[in-house]
Amino acid sequence: MSIVALDPTSGPIGESTDRRLAPRPVSLAGERLGVVVNGLGYCERFFDALIEELLDQTELGGVVKVVKSSVSVPPDPGDWSRLTEGATVAITGFGG
Amino acid sequence: MLHAPRDEWPDPDAFLEDAYERGWTDGLPVVPATPEKVEAFLATAGLDPETVLGAVPTREVTVTAEHAAINAVMAGCRPEYFPVVVAAVRAHLDEFGNCHSTTGTLSGAAQALIVNGPIRQELGIASGMGCLGPGFRANATIGRALRLVIRNVCRSVPGFLDRATFSWPLRYSFCFGEDEEAGDWVPLHVQRGYEPEQSTVTVQSVMRMVSAWDSTSRDATGVLDSIVAETRYHGFNGDEFLGDGTNIVYIMGREHQRFFFEEGWSKAQMQEYLWPRLDAETAGLHDRRFKLGHPENILLVAAGGAGMAETWILSPHLARAITRPVERVAHTPSGRSAH
Repeated sequence: MSIVALDPTSGPIGESTDRRLAPRPVSLAGERLGVVVNGLGYCERFFDALIEELLDQTELGGVVKVVKSSVSVPPDPGDWSRLTEGATVAITGFGG
Repeated sequence: MLHAPRDEWPDPDAFLEDAYERGWTDGLPVVPATPEKVEAFLATAGLDPETVLGAVPTREVTVTAEHAAINAVMAGCRPEYFPVVVAAVRAHLDEFGNCHSTTGTLSGAAQALIVNGPIRQELGIASGMGCLGPGFRANATIGRALRLVIRNVCRSVPGFLDRATFSWPLRYSFCFGEDEEAGDWVPLHVQRGYEPEQSTVTVQSVMRMVSAWDSTSRDATGVLDSIVAETRYHGFNGDEFLGDGTNIVYIMGREHQRFFFEEGWSKAQMQEYLWPRLDAETAGLHDRRFKLGHPENILLVAAGGAGMAETWILSPHLARAITRPVERVAHTPSGRSAH
């Protein structure tokens, strides 16, 4: 006996028809680096050191650093705007 | 009218294998969500399929009653369990339930569902011996329904948006009732502003579940001091987002409860005793301040059977405990006993 059943999902996992990842840059030279610090542990110290290291290694076009006001929620709208308008490539850590 | 895509399979085995293939399950077999079953579930809660129960804005996900009903069928719920599932989904998707964080975190936080009110007996939601473990259909499937919604609708799939390093078995299902009949304590939902005759679900994120096992103390303060010590030993991480609303849940078993009943302690008195001791400044690596805004943020729940002298500590992960009422169209007692 055949069974008709409903899809329990909100859409295919891992696929998006609206978004695609931006192409990975070949080099960071000239790129404007965005850094998102979630506030856990010593991550800001880590990212500051990472920024210094990258500035030593390459000619970045600029740095936008966002420090979230809370560890578990997205950046404030103002910080999102700074990031999306000011950065061409971003690094963020994931933790917690 | 139901909106979810539908497919046809030649037999139940074919459906089950395809459900696994499509990633619809938590690793355990699921029940096919036929349109007829889903409509029956929606009817118990009096909800239209497109009723919005909540959303996860960061994931651009909206959870409808239909989504919840499909996953409740798949979890193995009976139709009359669905209003409890609805309350649980609504609670979890509250802004301060913080679905995005608690279901994506490296820590693999789980969700504890605490059920209060008459619906416990009506549906057979266990609150006594063995209530935190397997063997009770209502407990197992209601908790599982929420987790399937989290997986299938909120997209918390391991390796995708679920980044848990280990995860843990509580994420299969974690639902139990408060043993309101154990003594004269005010039930959790009444403390949180509901009438005794109302039924509610409280959802608490759980980052850590540890036992404050104390078979030595012979009075209430001894037990409370053990609970404080165990809580402070493990500590927790707070979040500015939660303000002063962080909660901790203590599930107190019968062997500990009896000291408080014998000595006449109310939950409010226990909260007043615990709070300043939890809030004391950090004294060392394993004696850390557990910052809670108010004594009322300490949620004490009676549950479990006789035997083990312990209180289970549910430390939160970056969310508040949220309580929502169970709303039904018609009262249909099942006649089941929870014990």
